[in-house]
Amino acid sequence: MRTPGAATAVIDAQDLRKRYGPVQAVDGVSFQVERGEVFGMLGPNGAGKTTTVEMLEGLREPDGGQALVLGIDVAREPDRLKERIGVQLQTAALYPNLTVTEVIDLFRSFYRQRRPTRELIAALDLTERKDALTKVLSGGQRQRLSVALALVNDPELIFLDEPTTGMDPAARRSLWDLVLVLKERGTTVLLTTHYMEEAEQLCDRIAIMDHGKILEMGTVKELVERRFQELSIRFDALPGLEDERLRALPAVTRVVHEDGEVALYTRDVAATIGGLLEASREVSQEPQNLAVRRATLEDVFLDLTGRALRD
Amino acid sequence: MTALRTLTIANTRSFVRDRAALFWTLAFPILFVVLFGSIFSGNGATSFQVGWADEDGSPGATQLRSGFAGTGIVELTDGTRDELLEQMRAGDLDGIVVVTDGVGEALGAAAGGQTPSTPVSLVVFTDPSQQTQSTTIQQIVSQIVSATNQALSGRPPVLALEMESLQTDDITPAAYFVPSILAMALMQLGVFAAIPLAEQREKLILKRLGATPLRRWTLVGSNILMRLVIALVQSVLIISIGALLFGVTIVGSIALTAGFIVLGAVTFTSIGYVIASFAKTEESANSLTSVVQFPLMFLSGIFFPIDFMPEFLQPVAAVMPLTYLGDALRQVMVGGAPYAPLPIDALVLGAWLVGSFVISARFFRWQ
Repeated sequence: MRTPGAATAVIDAQDLRKRYGPVQAVDGVSFQVERGEVFGMLGPNGAGKTTTVEMLEGLREPDGGQALVLGIDVAREPDRLKERIGVQLQTAALYPNLTVTEVIDLFRSFYRQRRPTRELIAALDLTERKDALTKVLSGGQRQRLSVALALVNDPELIFLDEPTTGMDPAARRSLWDLVLVLKERGTTVLLTTHYMEEAEQLCDRIAIMDHGKILEMGTVKELVERRFQELSIRFDALPGLEDERLRALPAVTRVVHEDGEVALYTRDVAATIGGLLEASREVSQEPQNLAVRRATLEDVFLDLTGRALRD
Repeated sequence: MTALRTLTIANTRSFVRDRAALFWTLAFPILFVVLFGSIFSGNGATSFQVGWADEDGSPGATQLRSGFAGTGIVELTDGTRDELLEQMRAGDLDGIVVVTDGVGEALGAAAGGQTPSTPVSLVVFTDPSQQTQSTTIQQIVSQIVSATNQALSGRPPVLALEMESLQTDDITPAAYFVPSILAMALMQLGVFAAIPLAEQREKLILKRLGATPLRRWTLVGSNILMRLVIALVQSVLIISIGALLFGVTIVGSIALTAGFIVLGAVTFTSIGYVIASFAKTEESANSLTSVVQFPLMFLSGIFFPIDFMPEFLQPVAAVMPLTYLGDALRQVMVGGAPYAPLPIDALVLGAWLVGSFVISARFFRWQ
């Protein structure tokens, strides 16, 4: 039961399963990632993203299913695979009493293929901190160092598990830029995140996970359009304007109230807005904070899981 | 090879930059040596204060007195029995010898060829709470008494006393405790390996290393190598201080000494791995290490001979690895009396090494 395209895929996961005691952490996950792609796994904590990634990295043995990464059977030849991938774990694991340069040099010594230490330090913007002990680094610097360690062997495929968790917005931006640089170099990236924006900004394709399963997979556009053909028109609720009247406006399919705001879902924005302005004049008012919005990944997520994904 | 080297260097650097680890492995044993050394030398380990109450007053008694004074181990203070007992209670004397009335007469009679119907006695007071002193004084007195008896009997000695094996004569307290402290330091260095291991597991450093092509045995090998490097530094320091301050020099084979140092360090590092196998966190590794090291230390006869221990504890001491490391180092370094022959010492340590290795291989978790 092999999906088409599997032969050229950098990652080919087939029906991966992992159980911890009573919890089925990963419950039959299958997907492919193509060369040069940035693939995102989006989901709340405990969705099974990390376990899935760790099975692909050769850190955990699956209870069932098969993983081919870079054409290597992960279960059978994990050591050959580890030579060619870069891994960043969710919790940055560092030697507290070594300096940035020392840790990078240490990790370089584990691989046959190595990128120059200075180049890595510069790429991760750590030049000023190169002689600092890792224990005195800020959270963002530590996270960047842990990404640098994932790049020491100039890997073809890199796994980033929640790479921007705990970073301030500026640090997050600079890490995003780095991922885009990797993408330009042709590196395949698999990243997990629970930030919608990160997934939208970086990922060519996204798998939305919850309760150990992939609920939906595709580009952001595909995911949104698959569920939301309409756009929404939003404005502050107008007193006197009944829902019944709104629902009767041209092209409106749904009326939703959210925190004092009204959202009209429509197939024809112009017709609906014309009708809305007319209706508001009837009650001698004007709609405030009028905005037209396409559904976002967040709407998709909310629709799929029934809960919002907040940090 | 380069991974083994860089990892060993990285581990050594981490260790050297960890002040607490440095204190416990280097400063602490040295403090111990200096402290023990000053206690023993300050206490007049080479000369005991003994009161001499001559209730007889004969020339024979005076001769006996010069015999005692001639040993060079005791310093005699004259006085009456009551005066001296008071001084001893005040802590000024380690023991008292009382020459009872009639001793001189008996000695004179014996010299004249007569055998007295009942032997006259020397009364010896010692303080059993001062174990070293009381044992030594009793030994000195009984040696002089038997030498006197033997001389008076007029026969050539059949059995000569071999003084060398006596603690006071050959092995000074310093010579006893320098190898002991070295053994203790090696034990601590080894079992303390559990703490960074548990820390590296808890902080997911071991897991992160597991995501690289680094072989696990390289990782284990580098940890052991690092401990060995520190063990050698530690040993050189302790032995040097023992030699410089207390004149304890290595009388035996240096190669054999080094061999036992290496065997001891590796064995106790494996025990450290066993601890790390059962400690989930750095915190629990910390407490488990203390729980393990104290019985190891005090039930192993490194601070006092096993014969001094309560009988029911002696079998415990007989299985403790530190007993054998201390015993081996004492034998090799200062020519101490063996508790077990050297090959047995090596064998017991080897057994602990293999046993710990098997347990760690079975139970150690990398994440």
